[in-house]
Amino acid sequence: MNLQIEADGATTYLVPVGRIDFDAAPAFQQAVERVLSGAGQTPPTTVIIDGAKLEYVSSAGLRAVLLLARAAQRAHIAFALCALQAPVREVFNLSGFSQIMAIHSDRETARSQSQPPRT
Amino acid sequence: MSVAAQAAHLPQLTAFLEQFWSSASLPPGGCPAFALALEELFANVVMHGSAGGALQQVEVSLALTPEGVTMTIEDDGPGFDPLSLPPPDLTASLAERPVGGLGVFLVRKMMDTVSYARVAGRNQVRMSKRLARAAGAEFA
Repeated sequence: MNLQIEADGATTYLVPVGRIDFDAAPAFQQAVERVLSGAGQTPPTTVIIDGAKLEYVSSAGLRAVLLLARAAQRAHIAFALCALQAPVREVFNLSGFSQIMAIHSDRETARSQSQPPRT
Repeated sequence: MSVAAQAAHLPQLTAFLEQFWSSASLPPGGCPAFALALEELFANVVMHGSAGGALQQVEVSLALTPEGVTMTIEDDGPGFDPLSLPPPDLTASLAERPVGGLGVFLVRKMMDTVSYARVAGRNQVRMSKRLARAAGAEFA
């Protein structure tokens, strides 16, 4: 798994490429945590995971996404996913994650509907 | 195919599955469910099976049936039925959602049948899923 990072103003898009399986999940989680912390600079106000190049996610990947969504909430950073491919979308739906996370069809929708949590 | 229960061997198992899939000309849409089931059950053995003891062997076999595909995963570790794990609470909020317990739940959801047996000192998990028959696919 590679992680492409694209900053656009206060919004950062993260594009995981390939698989987030139990081998790749820890590195993915650490890389996103660095983005959430700002990595020495001002942290973004919105982080969007763009799933267009994500082919596969397992429960280990879901676990990482869950922990990252919580970390973003604690840091008052809006967190959303978009453009999930069908097999990945199915895993999010079956696990009930679609009910507790913002999942949008594309980047534009994700960006326009993402507001940093106030609490 | 048989491998030691180490995380680094997952790519070999996944490649084995994908090779089976393509050589049987099966519809590609059915493969992700088996790839996920394979990872979840293999990860269970890697994480829970080898505690304190010798490294286990995990054996994966795949078979075509008239309706679809059957996958069997066996290991020689201590007896453990992964299907006995309680289902996760899917109604908890983001802050309260437990971080584990989803793997076996997803396997149950994505497969048509899943069963566990202790056979000759080995754990055996067998699962099957029907597939839409693709034009020209051979189920021989």
